[in-house]
Amino acid sequence: MPAPTLDPNSPIRPDWWSKTIAGTVLGFTLAVALAGLFAWAGPGGVLAANKYQFVMWMIAPLWLAVVSGCFLFRTGLRAWAWLGGANVLAYAALLLSRGPLP
Amino acid sequence: MRTDIVRLYRVVHSWVGIVSGLILFIAFYAGALTMFKEPLAAWVTPPRAAENLIPLDRGGELVSRLLALRPEAAKDFSLILEPGHGQAGALRLEWRLDREDTAVWTAAMSHDGRLDIRQEEPSAVAQLVDDVHRTAILPGDLETGTVITGIASALYGVALVSGVIILIPSLVKDFFALRLANSAKRLWLDVHNLLGIISVPFHIVIALSAVVFGLHDYFYDSLDEVVYGGRMQKVIAVADPPPRPVSRGPYLSPADLLAKTAAVEPGLIPSSLHYQRLGTPGAVVRVWGDDPRYLVRRHGFLALDPATGNVVSTEYLPGHQGNWGATVSAFFALHFGSFGGDLVRWSYFLMGLAGAFLFYSGNLLWVEARRRTERRASGPVTQTRAVTLMAAATVGVSLGAVAGLSATIAAGRWLSALESINTGHLVIYYAVFLGACAWAFWRGAGRAGYELLWLAAGATAAIPATSLLGFVIPGLWVSGAGLGVDAVALMGAGAFALMARAAARRAEDGPADSVWSARREHGTVTAAQPQAAE
Repeated sequence: MPAPTLDPNSPIRPDWWSKTIAGTVLGFTLAVALAGLFAWAGPGGVLAANKYQFVMWMIAPLWLAVVSGCFLFRTGLRAWAWLGGANVLAYAALLLSRGPLP
Repeated sequence: MRTDIVRLYRVVHSWVGIVSGLILFIAFYAGALTMFKEPLAAWVTPPRAAENLIPLDRGGELVSRLLALRPEAAKDFSLILEPGHGQAGALRLEWRLDREDTAVWTAAMSHDGRLDIRQEEPSAVAQLVDDVHRTAILPGDLETGTVITGIASALYGVALVSGVIILIPSLVKDFFALRLANSAKRLWLDVHNLLGIISVPFHIVIALSAVVFGLHDYFYDSLDEVVYGGRMQKVIAVADPPPRPVSRGPYLSPADLLAKTAAVEPGLIPSSLHYQRLGTPGAVVRVWGDDPRYLVRRHGFLALDPATGNVVSTEYLPGHQGNWGATVSAFFALHFGSFGGDLVRWSYFLMGLAGAFLFYSGNLLWVEARRRTERRASGPVTQTRAVTLMAAATVGVSLGAVAGLSATIAAGRWLSALESINTGHLVIYYAVFLGACAWAFWRGAGRAGYELLWLAAGATAAIPATSLLGFVIPGLWVSGAGLGVDAVALMGAGAFALMARAAARRAEDGPADSVWSARREHGTVTAAQPQAAE
């Protein structure tokens, strides 16, 4: 789709493609990591009855929240930087919290 | 709210809306109809002769006689308890030889002990409505269609957030403003905003759950990879173990199993007994039923050992689930409207129709916004090709789906004489849907707008008309079972007729340079015109 234009003097640059891809891709990986963190470190532990289903349901709201919010970043570059950083933190926490499985 | 943020999100809103709007229109309209799947199925089904009724206490006899005759059914069959018959219920057995089989084998026993076994192809009309709901366009390949609807739902989630952001500044000021006095476009916008805002909670629930339903395979695959280190199947086996009883027959009678169920949860209203792996150590029976006091996934079940009646699992029994299971069940219930009885069912029906209108009006507003601002002095407004095509697609796809669904429901009784009813249903839906799309592009949005509304009105009126013709035409029938469907269809047809009249008036008398005018000449549409900056 052609990128619609916004006022170039706006303090928020549209950067449609850059922000959209950052939000969609990094938002998804972030949502998976946060849901996984909840699976391991959240209440009940990783093997609680049917918790894996709840964990899966968490992905959609987390992901869409990031996609919806990513246009608030001042530039596309900032979206990539912040979401990339959040991913690194979330995956580090996930790796640390993971334990042995049956 | 800063104006630049509002402006940014207006662009987001209009783009995600235009990309997903038509798919979502079909999903919502068909979804509204799925709230009445059972009445629809009853409407197309010929009335059954009532002689095959035996009381519940002969259910054990029915099961053992079936298994003696058809041992292949033992691995998976259901004993259906006909609703409304209570303890003296009418019983029927159903089984399929494999999952993909559309035809169902049924066995019923008459009072004199005669066993009536036959293969039936149940009308797929309710299933077709559901498939159209879940896939919007591609019932032929359910999986692809479901993924596409899932993606459209994700866009819809973003449209929802951005729509709310856009409206925040004006929310207090013109929330309930319906500016009738001003232009038609203003009115469409006001209705769009009002419907959108008042149904936000419903839409949040639907959007998030529809994303899950459409994309859960990908979500689980990602979790397996990243979170469970490739061992998710093991996690599932521990967290949601399949029921594993270890006894062989002799088995308890259906009446005894229902008594055991009532002892565990008297509030469950049983609808069927689903037997699996009878005659093996893994034999299990699931007593399916409803419990209106809880949010459940359509239905719940209690798993029992069919030989001893011991409880094997309560993880899907309403009121007896663990916290996580109960929470996930609640998500399902909120999508399906499977709680709160008829009040919620009707509310979901109306909110589904309102949702469909939301997407229709959204597309319409996009079309209007893309028209070059009218300047009386400078001659006719130019319409870009994108606007003309989108207007035609909006009219053709939306009204084509409406007319197609009505036509294929109405055809259900006419088709009942055919060998392959269900192919007929598909052919009719697609013929009407694709025909309407082609018609819209050929005639242009202005003319097709009201012509297809008349088609929708006619196709919907064909439903009660078919019932009426049942009095005079042999082969058709009159039945009380579908009376509600007839009444709703009659009202729907009336509503479409009113809309058709209004659209026709606008096409004749409205501004001639509008996309919605029937008087506009196609020649003024040029792709070469520079597009106006938005």
